[in-house]
Amino acid sequence: MSFMEKLPTSPKSPLRRRRSSWTGPWLNHPTTSFKQVVSAVIQAQSPRSRFKSLSSDFSDVDRTLSLSDSLLLKILEKLPESQNNDVALVCKRWLCLQGRRWRRMKVFDWDFVMSGRLVSRFPKLTNVDLVNACLNPLRNSGILLCHKSISFHISTDSSSNWDFVEENLLDNEMVDRGLRVLGRGSFDLLKLVVINATELGLLSLAEDCSDLQELELHKCSDNLLRGIAACENLRGLRLVASVDGLYSSSVSDIGLTILAQGCKRLVKLELSGCEGSFDGIKAIGQCCEVLDELSICDHRMDDGWIAALSYFESLKTLRISSCRKIDSSPGPEKLLGSCPALESLQLKRCCLNDKQGMRALFKVCDGVTKVNIQDCWGLDDDSFSLAKAFRRVRFLSMEGCSILTTSGLESVILHWEELESMRVVSCKNIKDSEISAALSSLFSLLKELTWRPDTRSHLSSSLEGTGIGKRGSKFFKKR
Amino acid sequence: MSSSKKSSDGKSSEIEEAVASLTMPFNKILLTSSDGESFEIDEAVARKFQIIAHMIEDDCAGKAIPIDNVTGDILSKIIEYAKKHVVEPDEDEDEEAKKKLDSWDAKFVEKLDLETIFKIILAANYLNFEGLLGFASQTVADYIKDKTPEEVREIFNIENDFTPEEEEAIRKENAWTFNG
Repeated sequence: MSFMEKLPTSPKSPLRRRRSSWTGPWLNHPTTSFKQVVSAVIQAQSPRSRFKSLSSDFSDVDRTLSLSDSLLLKILEKLPESQNNDVALVCKRWLCLQGRRWRRMKVFDWDFVMSGRLVSRFPKLTNVDLVNACLNPLRNSGILLCHKSISFHISTDSSSNWDFVEENLLDNEMVDRGLRVLGRGSFDLLKLVVINATELGLLSLAEDCSDLQELELHKCSDNLLRGIAACENLRGLRLVASVDGLYSSSVSDIGLTILAQGCKRLVKLELSGCEGSFDGIKAIGQCCEVLDELSICDHRMDDGWIAALSYFESLKTLRISSCRKIDSSPGPEKLLGSCPALESLQLKRCCLNDKQGMRALFKVCDGVTKVNIQDCWGLDDDSFSLAKAFRRVRFLSMEGCSILTTSGLESVILHWEELESMRVVSCKNIKDSEISAALSSLFSLLKELTWRPDTRSHLSSSLEGTGIGKRGSKFFKKR
Repeated sequence: MSSSKKSSDGKSSEIEEAVASLTMPFNKILLTSSDGESFEIDEAVARKFQIIAHMIEDDCAGKAIPIDNVTGDILSKIIEYAKKHVVEPDEDEDEEAKKKLDSWDAKFVEKLDLETIFKIILAANYLNFEGLLGFASQTVADYIKDKTPEEVREIFNIENDFTPEEEEAIRKENAWTFNG
C-alpha cells in the first residue's frame, strides 16, 4: 500500500518516459487489465518486492502516468484559460507542462525575473513585456497611473513633481542583469519590451536569443542603439525616447544613423518622442531597404525632415500620430520628391494647423491610395484642400474632424477620380443639408459608403433599402 | 493483379477475406488486435487511421494488419467510432447531420469509464487517428473542467508533490507577478 503512494511523479521517473508503444508488450497479454499493467510495471521496477497482494485497486494509481507529456498536453490544451492557475497547482508535472504552454507574458515583479523563476516556470516564452516590472511597485497605493501599456502605482505623497517614473525606475545595471537572466533561459524569445536598458544588456540578450525579431525600447537613447546591430534578425522596432510627464531621454540623428546601419532588415519602425532631423531619417530610408511601415509619434524633430521620406523606396504605410506640428519649414517643394511605393497615409491625433507641413507631407505622399484622418484638429477647409495633391486615392476615412465643412470635403473628393469607398464619421460640421447634387451622385457611384457625420444624420437612415452605399456596382454604372 | 481464387470449400471466411484482400486491395482491410480478435473494415474506414493509410499508400496493406498495441475491446470501440465518422459532415452545410453525430458521440462516450478512455487515447495516438484522439482528449478535459486542483488530483489519483511553501509561492506568483 505504502509503495503505491510513493509512485514517483518526478521527471526522472522511467514511468514518465513512455510512448504508447512502450505499453505494447503489457497490453498484448489477453487477460491483462490496466491495473495489472501498472502493478506489473511496479514489480518490474523493484524486483525484490513481492507485492502479490498489492491492493491493485486501480483507484490508487495515478492514471495520468500512462500518458506521455504530449498526450497530457493535448488534454490540458482543451481546458479554458480561466483554469490555467488551477492546472498549475495539481502537481509538479502539470506545473511544468502548463508552464511550457505560455508564450506571451507581461511581468509585474522584478524578483520573479531575477530569481530565475520566470524562465524556469515558463521556458517557452516568445513575447515578454518587462516594463511594468522595471517600475518599483507600491502595491498598497490606491492610485494607479496608466499610460498606454505602462501602468504603475504611485504613492499619495508624490503629488507635486511628476518624476515618479524617474524616481521609481530600476537603474540601468539592474535592468541589464535581468536581461541576462532572461536571455539565458528564454531561447525562443521573439519579442521583448523593456525600459531603461543599456547596450550591454541588449548585447547579452542578442547573443542568447538570436531569433529576436521585435523590440520595444522605452526610455531609449542614442547609446542604447549601439547594441541594436547585434540583433541580426530584427524586423520590428519601436523606440520610445520621451514621454511627456513620464520620462525623457534623447534619440537624435546619431542614434537614428546607428539604427539605420545596424538594422538593415527592418520591416516596421516606430519612432516615438524622438529628436533628429532630415539626416537621420534619410539614413534610415537609405539603409532599411525593406522597410514597410513607418510610424512617427509625438516627434521632436527639426524642421525639414519630410523631404527625407522620399528616400524610403519600399515604404507602404506612413503613420503620423500625436504630433503637435508636422514640419514648419519643409523646404522648397521641388526638392521634396515623392515616396514611391507609399499606399497608406494615416494621421491620428495630430494638430494640422501647420499648412506648410501639410502641403509638404501631401506632396511627398501624393501616390497614396488610402487616406485615414482621425481625431485631428486644425483641419479646416483650406488645409484639407491641400489634399487635392493626392492623385490616386481610392479610400478615404475621416473621423473626428470637426471643423471641416461639407463643401470643403466636396471640393477635394470630387477632384479624386479614383475614389471607391469613403467613411465619414463624427465630423460635426459636415451637414446632410449641405450635400449638393454632385456629391450625392458621387455617393451613388461609390462601392462603399459609411456616412455618419453627426448623430442626426438623416442621410444614412434614408439610404436604407435604396441600395446606395452598399457594395454592389452591379446596380450602378461605373463612370 | 491476377486473382488467385481458391476454392471455397470449408475455408473460414476470414482466410477468404485475407486472400480477397490480396487480390482486391481497394475494398476491405483486416485488422487483428493484440489478443487475436479480427476486424474487417472498409478501406475508407481504415484510412482514418493514418498509420494504416500510409501502409495502404505504400502498398503494404495486403494481408491482415496486426495492431500489436491495442486489445480487441478497445479496437472494436475505435472502429465503431471510425465507422460513424468516415465522412465528417460540414458544419456550415449540414447542421442537422452534425448535431446527430455530436449526440451519437456523447452517447458513445457516456458509457465509457475513465480507464477505457485513457486506453482509447493511447490507442488512437498509436493508430494516429486524429479525430478520435481530439475527441477523447476533450472528454477527459471535460472531466476536469472547472475543478479545483484538489478535485483534479482526486479524479486521477495524482500525488500532490508540492510542499505547502511551494504551493503558496506558486499561488502568489499566479496572482501578482504576471499576466498572460
